[in-house]
Amino acid sequence: MKSKTFLMLLLFFLVFANFNFAKDTGKILPYKIHQTKLSNDLNIVTVPFDSPGIAAFYIVVRVGARNEVEEGVTGFAHFFEHMMFRGTDKYPKREYQAVLKSIGASANANTSQDRTVYHMTGSAEKLELMFEIEADRFMNLNYSEHDFKTEAGAVKGEYTKNFASPYQQNFENLKNTAFDKHTYKHTTMGFFDDIVDMPNQYEYSKTFFDRYYRPEYCTVVVVGDVTHDQVVSLSKKYFGDWERGNYTVEIPTEPKQTETRYTHLQNGSIPPYLGLHYKGPAFNDKEIDMPALDVLSSIVFSQTSDLYKKLVLEERKARFIGGGAFDSRDPNLFSIQASLINEADLQYVKDEIVKAIEKVKTEGVDEETLNKTKSNLKYSFAMNIDAPDNIANSLSHYIQLTGDPESLNRLYQLYDKVSVEDVVMVAKKYFVQTGLTVSTISDKEMGGVK
Amino acid sequence: MKKLILIMLLAGSIFAQEVVELKLPNSNKVVIKLRFQNGSITDPVGKEGLTHFTANLVTQGGTEKMSYSEIQDFIYPMAASYYVNVDKEVATFTFQVHMDFLNKFYPVMMNMMLSPAFSESDFQRVKTNQQNYVDQVIRASSDEEYSKKALEDLLFRGTNYQHMKQGMSESVRSITIDDVKDHYKNYFTSNNLIIGIAGNYSNDFLTKLKNDLQKLSDAKPEIPEPGKAIMPKGLQVEIVQKDNAFGSAIFAGFPLSITRADDEFAALAVANSYLGEHRKSYSKLYQLLRETRSMNYGDYSYIEWYDNGGGNMLPPSGTPRTSNYFSIWIRPVQIAKQLKQQYEELKEVEIGHAHFALRMALKEIDRLVQNGLTQKEFETTRDFLISYTKLYAQSPSARLGYLMDSRFYGREDYIAELDNLLRDLTLDDVNKAIKKHWQVENMFVTIITDKSEAGPLAASIKENKPSPMSYSDQVKEGLPEEVLQQDAEAANFKLNVKNVEIINSEETFKKKEDKVSL
Repeated sequence: MKSKTFLMLLLFFLVFANFNFAKDTGKILPYKIHQTKLSNDLNIVTVPFDSPGIAAFYIVVRVGARNEVEEGVTGFAHFFEHMMFRGTDKYPKREYQAVLKSIGASANANTSQDRTVYHMTGSAEKLELMFEIEADRFMNLNYSEHDFKTEAGAVKGEYTKNFASPYQQNFENLKNTAFDKHTYKHTTMGFFDDIVDMPNQYEYSKTFFDRYYRPEYCTVVVVGDVTHDQVVSLSKKYFGDWERGNYTVEIPTEPKQTETRYTHLQNGSIPPYLGLHYKGPAFNDKEIDMPALDVLSSIVFSQTSDLYKKLVLEERKARFIGGGAFDSRDPNLFSIQASLINEADLQYVKDEIVKAIEKVKTEGVDEETLNKTKSNLKYSFAMNIDAPDNIANSLSHYIQLTGDPESLNRLYQLYDKVSVEDVVMVAKKYFVQTGLTVSTISDKEMGGVK
Repeated sequence: MKKLILIMLLAGSIFAQEVVELKLPNSNKVVIKLRFQNGSITDPVGKEGLTHFTANLVTQGGTEKMSYSEIQDFIYPMAASYYVNVDKEVATFTFQVHMDFLNKFYPVMMNMMLSPAFSESDFQRVKTNQQNYVDQVIRASSDEEYSKKALEDLLFRGTNYQHMKQGMSESVRSITIDDVKDHYKNYFTSNNLIIGIAGNYSNDFLTKLKNDLQKLSDAKPEIPEPGKAIMPKGLQVEIVQKDNAFGSAIFAGFPLSITRADDEFAALAVANSYLGEHRKSYSKLYQLLRETRSMNYGDYSYIEWYDNGGGNMLPPSGTPRTSNYFSIWIRPVQIAKQLKQQYEELKEVEIGHAHFALRMALKEIDRLVQNGLTQKEFETTRDFLISYTKLYAQSPSARLGYLMDSRFYGREDYIAELDNLLRDLTLDDVNKAIKKHWQVENMFVTIITDKSEAGPLAASIKENKPSPMSYSDQVKEGLPEEVLQQDAEAANFKLNVKNVEIINSEETFKKKEDKVSL
């Protein structure tokens, strides 16, 4: 045993002796992020990358379910993403599709709570055409009321496929229970009644486009076999005339939660499920809270944690346990989720999770585990940036949060600074009974977890 | 070609060890794929799910030197990762590690392959999860995936291709730890292994890897002939009813005699891309069902297995197959119960959109069989594929996976060869391939739906009743005459229905033979 410990220590030193990420800059991303802001406030980001002949072209719009502040229009950011494929005067929908097909790209879009992302990965030789058709629809989208109503049916179809999963039903209930005022109360799909009513919102859709599909809300990201000069030049040519807007949305502040909340779904078709969801912080690349919570979640809830070993590997009370914070613009949830073997163990598993958190508050975490976790975070990232899409996705994630892709580098610099005291501090600050929502799924009428 | 490879492997010579290499000196990592030429088709009868179980116990268990949790602790700072994917005919272990740690990770990887512990506690844990998958997860988490697996259950009934790789409820229950040990020894051997390696590694490392893997079992695995898909007589429809389904999820398909091994496959790839390219808005099924009629989230067609279609935008590697079939995927459409609740004008409808959607899709396939593509449709689709297929393999792991799949089909580099085949194609090649391989007279159809929908839907399909599309007034009022005309034709499109059966969700994946269908 002693020799094993020694070997582990030796390994640990070797890890850091060999650690060589972007030595010169101290940045996690070993490639330079080029940024230029056009005069209309459209941000242009380029990362040249060795992917011969291939480029990933993304547009991040910082609008998502979070922006749906008005009653009756939840799910609209996502619905609007669908409408963006319905054509312009220059390229009506069938012509748009024909051009898209001629590019031969993998192209689509998706929406989440804080952003909508349009992406197109294909031949770098077709980059100018990509710019042309994207700029055209971002500036000149024009769809008929009939097309609008028709597309609403596809959104309902999407809801229908998602709703087959009890986990999705539980997620809807959770958000609705955990939040009172903030728009994180609803999922990106929106409330079902609002989805059914979508065909009646044609006029609102025009308002929505006018507000948010503006350069100041958008960042163009190009990764791959390109140069920044080329990307800026194309951006100026195709997006240069895009007029800046002037709309700012006021998101309701979530009042402080004062007691534990509960939500339960009676469904015996899947294994019993337990979720503990604590109110956490917003993403911030300058404060230590979120990085410390990321480190904590890996130490306390990952497959190498004592909790996982006990409940999943040794006692086999749970099939799975995991936890982590949602990166988001406003304070959101830190969720710990477990899939159980028996419904009777729901309370026991909850108590064990709480015990593991309390242990961090009172005893802290050991320094060696902390350092291993930092190493894990960095190498996980380094191993994943092996294709233009992966890099573009990663940059888009941070652009939605702060508007600046350099947040990625800043976050990893903060990981390096997380101390044991920081981990204890965030455990005490965020894992409190009054900030907790418990969600359960079982075949019983009530969740039964205190 | 594939048979030749197998014979070569079964000869058991160290020099015959097949290696697929992809050297990437600028990469910061190494990817190793160990592919065994055996998949769920080697599961013994009554022990279906054993190959998947065995492979998963290797990756989710300990070795003779380290427990599972010690392995996890050891590799944690490296962020090394590994997993296994089992399909019908192959099982592929994938290991990825940063080059900084290759030499440290290597002994752990090798112990995993050469001396897995197969401990009782790991066995029980993995078994509980696999049991749960076949008992609950497949029926409850995604009706789309459920309908796809139910289709294979019909297409390959009575063959070794029929069962899900995870097995069935009874068969998983019967698996013992000795079954796993025997199966590993007999089927995960040096004689049916192909090594794949990509990234930044040395020749010495590869030599060591090859030599060490010769220490795998030397048993000579007897790989059975893969079962063939069955061509049904007429349309054989299975409706699976469950409580509280929100829509009707549909898959349909029939056998296909060609695979990537055949040059003619390129012609069918063009036809398929035109008809139903996965997740693409410029394909016909999507345009007809989703875009014009807003019936669902999407509609696609396939000329080979596409793993996890709900999650993947581009086709993943790792599932090469000898037995092939054509299929269409109609994502969940509305059921009558929902339409009645949502629209006052539809409160009298008796069935939802499943029957109409199926007719619309088959009518379009029929049109292609009769008329083929036009020269322009052919050219734009062919050109699209020439560009698009380059995106299949962007990461080192995906590129390596595609190269290894190529070998299965007797090719060196499928994506590169497909490029040439596509460039050489003519419109005539494509339209001939459609006529030769596609039809709408005989196919299996599986529909997962709500209990309230199953009966009326079954009656409607069985009796070939007209199934007019039931639009909400809001959509209907703006539809052009041309669409309404197409609707009227589709609503009465006669399907060659021979049998419609309703089964309860709990009864799926149990039958071994189907007297009615065959």
